Amino acid sequence: MNELGASLEASSLSQLIKDVTWIIPLLQSIHIVTIGVVFVSSLMIAMRVLGRMRADEPFPAVWQRFAPWMWYGLIVMVVTGALLVVGEPVREFTAFSFWLKMSLLAVAVIATFVFGRTFAAQGGGGAGASATRADTTAARAGVAAAYAGASAAAGSSGASDVVDATGVAAAEFSPGAKAVAVGIIVVWLAVIFLGRAIAYDIEVWGSLSLHN
Amino acid sequence: MSLVSVVQSIQDSGVAEWMRTSVKAMPIIEAIHVLAAATVFGTIFIVDLRLLGFPNTRRPFTRVSDEMLKLTWGAFFTALVTGALMFAANANTYYENTAFRFKMLALLLAGVNMAIFQLVTFRTVGGWNSDARPPSAARVAGMLSILVWLTVIFFARWIGFTKGYHFEAPPADVDFTF
Repeated sequence: MNELGASLEASSLSQLIKDVTWIIPLLQSIHIVTIGVVFVSSLMIAMRVLGRMRADEPFPAVWQRFAPWMWYGLIVMVVTGALLVVGEPVREFTAFSFWLKMSLLAVAVIATFVFGRTFAAQGGGGAGASATRADTTAARAGVAAAYAGASAAAGSSGASDVVDATGVAAAEFSPGAKAVAVGIIVVWLAVIFLGRAIAYDIEVWGSLSLHN
Repeated sequence: MSLVSVVQSIQDSGVAEWMRTSVKAMPIIEAIHVLAAATVFGTIFIVDLRLLGFPNTRRPFTRVSDEMLKLTWGAFFTALVTGALMFAANANTYYENTAFRFKMLALLLAGVNMAIFQLVTFRTVGGWNSDARPPSAARVAGMLSILVWLTVIFFARWIGFTKGYHFEAPPADVDFTF
């Protein structure tokens, strides 16, 4: 790792990134903007699991709306992140925050992927987009029926269907599934804070930091 | 009482002193600021996409925007408070900083764009709320919003590079062993 860091540091790409003034701020800006896209997409999905947002839409529809932005956003993050590491490899490789961040990033990505497979891939993952859309239509019809049933049972009149839908949507996922959704958001928050902590690695981790 | 002296007294305040001297305050406040700002952009982006006529066009515009309101304002307020704290710590330096001034200008433009949309374009929302593709005034507002907020973030990052301090680089002979 020492050799890799040193050779990256001496590479011409690294020199270029360091020398051209606007490259690192531009990479960081894209990285931050994409954090917004990826984090909020994850948040929207988690909020749907909790039944607190987009409750009028079936979960697979919400997943389809936000998951692609998450995955493509993560690709952008990996590319900008990799270039930022090439720009300052030793600083990154010697930061405990960096390695913890990468580990938690892997956890969040895997957990999100498994969650999506479990709850959004109706009729089997890997089915074509058209199959998923047909399933979503069926799901939407089923959900609409459930909402109609719920509002009839509640005897509510004039209450917005979003309010009724929230009650049904909130009961849709088990407490365990909700805990996982919230947990993934917490892991994302940790990833974001650890990203910032790289610059303060010694202050944050003391003797755990690899700077020492 | 000139603006410069107001800025000076902010920098001299107790809160500013705490921000400067507390080892933990600045990085934590800054991290919260970045998270809040990213959340502001992410949530506004979703509403702007709907204004532009992109997914998920099934849902009426007002449902998308109403649902997002609390989150966006909460994140914006958090960014504002943490930003004010960071400003206070080195008020004079930021006040003079060109990137900071442009960032404030961009924030103002974002506000103006939102105000025009709310007061003018939004009045007709009954007619286009459920349309997949809102009228051009709404689409322009959405596009401008995205561009202006991207500008805010870019100038904000540039402040860090023109403020005049550098990160501590680790010594060249650091022993990196697992």
